Amino acid sequence: MFRRIDFFRGGVIAVSVGVTAILLMAIGSFLIVPSWGAVWENMHSSELLFSLRLSLWTAAVSSLLVMLLALPIGYALSRFSFRGKAVVKTIMDLPVAFPELVLGLCLLLLFGKTPFGKFLQQSGLNFVFTQKGVVAAQFFTALPYAIRIMKSSFDFINPRIEFVSRSLGYSQWETFLNVTLPLTKSGITAAGVISFARCIGTFGTILILAGGSAGKTDTLPIHLYLNISYGNMDMAVTSGIILIIVSFMAIFIFEKTEADL
Amino acid sequence: MFKKITMLLVLVFFASSAFAADLMVFSGAGLMKPMDEMIANFEKKHGAQVDTHYGSSGELFGMLKMGQKCDVLIPGAAKYTYDALKNGWIVEDSIHKIVKHVPVIAVPKGNPGNVSGLKDFANPDISTAIGDPKSPAIGRVARKIFKQNGLWEKVHPNIDVYAPTVNQLLVYVAMEQVDAAVIWADLTTWSEGRGKMDVLRIDPEKNIIKTIPTAVTSYGRENPLAKKFNAYISSKEGLAIWKKWGFEPCSAE
Repeated sequence: MFRRIDFFRGGVIAVSVGVTAILLMAIGSFLIVPSWGAVWENMHSSELLFSLRLSLWTAAVSSLLVMLLALPIGYALSRFSFRGKAVVKTIMDLPVAFPELVLGLCLLLLFGKTPFGKFLQQSGLNFVFTQKGVVAAQFFTALPYAIRIMKSSFDFINPRIEFVSRSLGYSQWETFLNVTLPLTKSGITAAGVISFARCIGTFGTILILAGGSAGKTDTLPIHLYLNISYGNMDMAVTSGIILIIVSFMAIFIFEKTEADL
Repeated sequence: MFKKITMLLVLVFFASSAFAADLMVFSGAGLMKPMDEMIANFEKKHGAQVDTHYGSSGELFGMLKMGQKCDVLIPGAAKYTYDALKNGWIVEDSIHKIVKHVPVIAVPKGNPGNVSGLKDFANPDISTAIGDPKSPAIGRVARKIFKQNGLWEKVHPNIDVYAPTVNQLLVYVAMEQVDAAVIWADLTTWSEGRGKMDVLRIDPEKNIIKTIPTAVTSYGRENPLAKKFNAYISSKEGLAIWKKWGFEPCSAE
């Protein structure tokens, strides 16, 4: 009896440790490959700094927009039942399973030559082959993750606390602002951090919608891809290292918040 | 239980190495259609398994540089093969020039931008795309063509998107996201483009026509299949497939 449990325990732990070791080796081998002198030099090259700046500001703008929308959508999905809720939930979740390239093509078609796309272009919102397109691509890639986190963190808040607030005469909006929001602080941080990381890592959607032109719409992952295609491995590895650092920081902060994905 | 899992893992490991391909081919992404067909024929004929990596010519070159295993190299332009030869990655007498690669201007069906030639790429009212000059062969060639005709200075700031692969150019034209793109003539015969784009020939005096070579790499020297595949895609039988997909044989010159 005891042996069996030990086997089980040993088995699952061995699998976890084994897979972690493989991942660690994979990340480690990335750090062995380059010549560090070249990486250091590349860190200061204008192309890389351009990509880094572009990645940071687009991801900041998109994750802010994502959070602005994930809050109400997550709350609506968590608290209210309404007609078509299942449809909304399914469609919102779809991009999680969608390949980014497909999402990019869909957005390209929508923002390109459809009447809706033309209307947006006339109002100054041209998303095709532009830096605005980078933001749009990141936004739609990250949004479903943020909604999921926000929904589950609203789910954890006992509605009774909100009822108490309502029974004391506060409106729904006042209750949301003063009771619900502060209680979900760690959820908001987690969703924000994951959105930001997801935005930084968005690749396929940007490649198709924004075109991935060097010096114009090449965020760090695109910059990495372009340099692989130029055969310039040192530069590719440099962007890769920066991306790994950003991901580590994001996951570290995320773990601290202990939110559920 | 644990033993069983370990055994299973070991089995999977050995099984996967047994499934490794007999021949590894690196091919320009723009050659995908004829290559797929020829590879299927070749596999049937020799009972061999062929793995193909399609990428931009620059990417293929980079992968060779990193020491990736490749038996036969077919980039989008001869330059890459000769650069690889200089680095000692290619068996010199295995180089065969197979077909011509002719740049043309592709426009969406009906030519909505009223594009008439190369000079229109400098017109700010027309949205245009070319390949990234550092990556796919067509990007490098497009820049050369514009430079040779004294247009690059004006065209360069007016290009809306530099695509990292030639297939992306095709998608953008077929989906009417750009008014014009410089693309290989053979690509326009692809079924994706059929009925969705028109082709404007570039004046032969202004154009730069490339050749596509095939070659066995020094890694593939010992692989008898590499030599066979190299010969097959430049054989009469192979050329018929190239022609079917809109490529012009070199030997017809």
